[in-house]
Amino acid sequence: MPEQLLQQIVNGLLIGFMYSLIAIGLTLIWGVMNIVNFAHGDFLMVGMFTSFWLYTLYGLDPLFSIPICTALLFVMGMLIYRFIVSKVMAGPMLAQLVVTFGVSIFISNLAVYLWTPDFRLIAKPLLSGTWNLGAVQLSIPKTVAAAGSIITSLAVFLFLKKTRTGKAILATEMDREAALLMGINTDRVNSLSFGMGAALVGIAGAFLSTYYYIYPQVGGLFGTIAFCIVALGGFGSISGAFIAGILVGLVQTLGGFFFDPAYKYAIVFMIYLVTVWIRPQGLLGW
Amino acid sequence: MRIKWVPIICLSLCAVLVLSGSLFAQQKTIRVGAVYPLTGNIASTGLDCKRGAELAVDIINGKYDLNLPLAKTEGLPNLGGAKIELVFADTKGDPRNGMSEAERLVSQEKVVAMIGAYQSSVTKTASQATERLKIPYVCSDSSSPTLTERNFKYFFRVSPHDAGFARDQFQFLKDLEKKTGQKVSTVALLYENTEFGSNVGKAAAQYAKEFGYKVVADVSYAANATDVTSEVGALIKAKPDVLMHASYITDAILFTKTFKEMNFAPKGIMTFAGYIEPAYLPAVKADGDYIIVRSTFALDLAKGKPLVAQVNELFKKKYGIDMSENAARSFAAPFVLADAINRAKSTKSEDIVRALLATNIPGDQMIYPWKGIKFDPKSHQNIYARGTLVQILNEQYATVWPFDAAAKEVVWPFPPWKTRK
Amino acid sequence: MKVPVFSQKSFGVVALAAAVAFPLVVGNTFFQHIMILFFMFATMAVAWNIMGGYAGMFSFGQVAFFGIGAYTSSFLLITCHVNPWLGLIAGGLGAAIVGAAIGYPCSNLRGHYFAIATIAFGEIVRTCFNNWKMVGAAEGLSLPMLDEGLLNFMFHSSKLPYYYIILVFLLIALAVCYLVSTSKMGYYFRAIKESHDVAEVLGVNVVWYRLMAVMVSAFLSAMAGTFYAQYVLYIDPDSVLLLPISIQIVLISMLGGAGSVMGPVIGAAILIPISEITRVWLGSKGTGIDMLIYGFLITMISVYQPRGVWGLFAGAGRRAR
Repeated sequence: MPEQLLQQIVNGLLIGFMYSLIAIGLTLIWGVMNIVNFAHGDFLMVGMFTSFWLYTLYGLDPLFSIPICTALLFVMGMLIYRFIVSKVMAGPMLAQLVVTFGVSIFISNLAVYLWTPDFRLIAKPLLSGTWNLGAVQLSIPKTVAAAGSIITSLAVFLFLKKTRTGKAILATEMDREAALLMGINTDRVNSLSFGMGAALVGIAGAFLSTYYYIYPQVGGLFGTIAFCIVALGGFGSISGAFIAGILVGLVQTLGGFFFDPAYKYAIVFMIYLVTVWIRPQGLLGW
Repeated sequence: MRIKWVPIICLSLCAVLVLSGSLFAQQKTIRVGAVYPLTGNIASTGLDCKRGAELAVDIINGKYDLNLPLAKTEGLPNLGGAKIELVFADTKGDPRNGMSEAERLVSQEKVVAMIGAYQSSVTKTASQATERLKIPYVCSDSSSPTLTERNFKYFFRVSPHDAGFARDQFQFLKDLEKKTGQKVSTVALLYENTEFGSNVGKAAAQYAKEFGYKVVADVSYAANATDVTSEVGALIKAKPDVLMHASYITDAILFTKTFKEMNFAPKGIMTFAGYIEPAYLPAVKADGDYIIVRSTFALDLAKGKPLVAQVNELFKKKYGIDMSENAARSFAAPFVLADAINRAKSTKSEDIVRALLATNIPGDQMIYPWKGIKFDPKSHQNIYARGTLVQILNEQYATVWPFDAAAKEVVWPFPPWKTRK
Repeated sequence: MKVPVFSQKSFGVVALAAAVAFPLVVGNTFFQHIMILFFMFATMAVAWNIMGGYAGMFSFGQVAFFGIGAYTSSFLLITCHVNPWLGLIAGGLGAAIVGAAIGYPCSNLRGHYFAIATIAFGEIVRTCFNNWKMVGAAEGLSLPMLDEGLLNFMFHSSKLPYYYIILVFLLIALAVCYLVSTSKMGYYFRAIKESHDVAEVLGVNVVWYRLMAVMVSAFLSAMAGTFYAQYVLYIDPDSVLLLPISIQIVLISMLGGAGSVMGPVIGAAILIPISEITRVWLGSKGTGIDMLIYGFLITMISVYQPRGVWGLFAGAGRRAR
């Protein structure tokens, strides 16, 4: 029993780190632009397909396609911002909410159109198998993905705190008008953070593709959970999203283990509701 | 001024839609409606079913030297060689669309009968609509037992249902114990929690009691789960001899990987549906080996039935892939229907239903290991339908039960993951 | 050039006359079905609009109320043989109570936090129904075929009665929405939408009025739910409690124009036929191209007509004056 519990905690942490990486991109976009990117799950899908095709067509392992995924998603994010999202920034909040739904439906069905609705898997990824640490089984691809998630999150955190651009992003996040008055080009900041948000989820997609199946609707539940994580952590809070992601991973796994697996996502949503009842701004929001 | 054009264009589009519907109805073909989930989450399965039904109609309409009903003649001889035409419609897997598409196909496309739907919940509403409209519905790809418990007058099912499949699995365990002397005493039930999975779970729990096996875990989960380690953890905790798993395709892939990752290897893994989808094996490769799946069809049935190989040959020529279990199941309904319409010599609902009730297709005219097709007069379930069990061996499905139809010896117990490559 | 003066009222009268006459002219049941879906979604969008458009609470969990309505009346009909019309009232009250129970603790959530909370709420309700054995769990509920007639709320030979019933439901929803928007309550709602804090300072009982909006909206959505159950005669969690239905309702309201009485109706009039007809035309090929077009249209409308299509009419009217 204690071994089982330890195993479940490890599994919860592994999926939690993955959630964190997905959610960080979302919280960045959300915090800076105050826009809910409902296409976030579909960005994840594009990232996964990118590494799948690079693997299938050119034999490039997902681990090495991360830079390409990141760059591609960054450009895609920038373009979507420039041609679609920026146009509704001044519009009513509802239009901002809805526009990304349109993008989401469009992208996922474009994937169906181009690549058929079939399920795919990277046949022989470089990372596979498990480590046995005593009684605990540690999946190698998941562990590497978790490490990647920690490194990436740390990098984003440092980027925001230490670089000029990062500080500009943070300033915009805190007070758009004030940032504008200080001479920050907020439109550029927006487009940069949209691109970065997409790039981050591209990294997540590349890691996820080493052990998860890939198909056009794969982003659905990941996206919904990511919204919860971001809101739980507090909109725009990178560290909040990171902690909330791990929390959700643990709650989901342990809740499923001790209670009924059929309710495990309901438990996650319940925890979210209870948290925001007590702290309406989320764990680390302000 | 531009605004003016919009309603005109809309109206003319509507007019074209109405006209095209009525124009087609004038032709001398027998139109049969076919509803499948052609877009959305399970579109890959829907497309697979569509292929099976299409090939069946090709064989009925053309001249083929095959021992299948109506294969040797062009069209339906009793109706002057009339051809069958399938009218496909997309349900997106939503029961609401099942109903509206069935109604549209009947009222607008003038179909005389219906096949399909795949998902039981959609078949439920689609056949309810045809029951209201008094149009015969022959289903060979939905497996919920509740469908034939409704005693509908116009609804017929060719394929076996989940309760029957669940019974087969336990019968297999009994047969296995008798044959090899290996003892099995506990089972764990694992099922996804939509209608399909929970029906299997319910039936399996009931048969476990009947056959005298102890259920040590009863785990249900959401089919689109992002991670299933807690489910597998619960299974490991229960230490069952045999796992019975009812899943769709995505969760089948995820569970297989998680079984391996967490080193879960009971004596036998016996499964439903998801593990036999055409996308499953290419996705998991050798990790799928030794898993046992219920099936109505497998390509190696060709050993005792040359017909299977011939049909698969045609299928491969047309679509470039081997016939899957789903395609094979959907392949049945057009034959049953065409045979009935041919004998009825009419396309009137009442005549077709009377002919369907008199259906008696012998087993050698089918690609399934059944004794034949004959409908129960009340429930309209095919009384001869039965399942087989196939085991994945060397990344191929091999029939292993019933032992008399087996192409390969069953590998039992399931080899631990560590001993495999 | 003379631009015709549209007002919500004159537009409404013309549209109503057309709606009443439609099934008498077009006998095709498929078009009648599209119209029925249109009215049903319009009813739900109008209900959403009371919460979202007027009171500024963007709910993505509206499907929960729809589902509770459908489940309550069906469950009562199957187990206790309660007349569906009474079931309709019971379902509406049930949804309103659940709405209040969940809305009260959520009453200090704003903007996106509220939106995400409603997604969570909808998913929790779906999971519970999906595992709740008493209401059929994942198998759902099949309604018995009763004798047809207005009393039983069930018709087998024709769609016309369903058509007119849901049209009446829509009119009821519109009337409620109109009353709300012109009453004192409507002004309070708008004040809350503009600024939660300012409204509170001005002495508006924010919590109470937010709860009122949720309850009215829940009741109307539940009515549509009961209608759906009586119309399709089979409900399961995947068909009446799925998140995409909630999203579709939001899309409809937004595209039509949230915050105006007729906006959601316009939205439904555009989106429902598009999604049904593209599915029929292009869906059977299974390439996903129908949804591709759908997604493209949503994006384009929200970029180029962010205040909804109703803005076109209203804008034209204002300019003419």
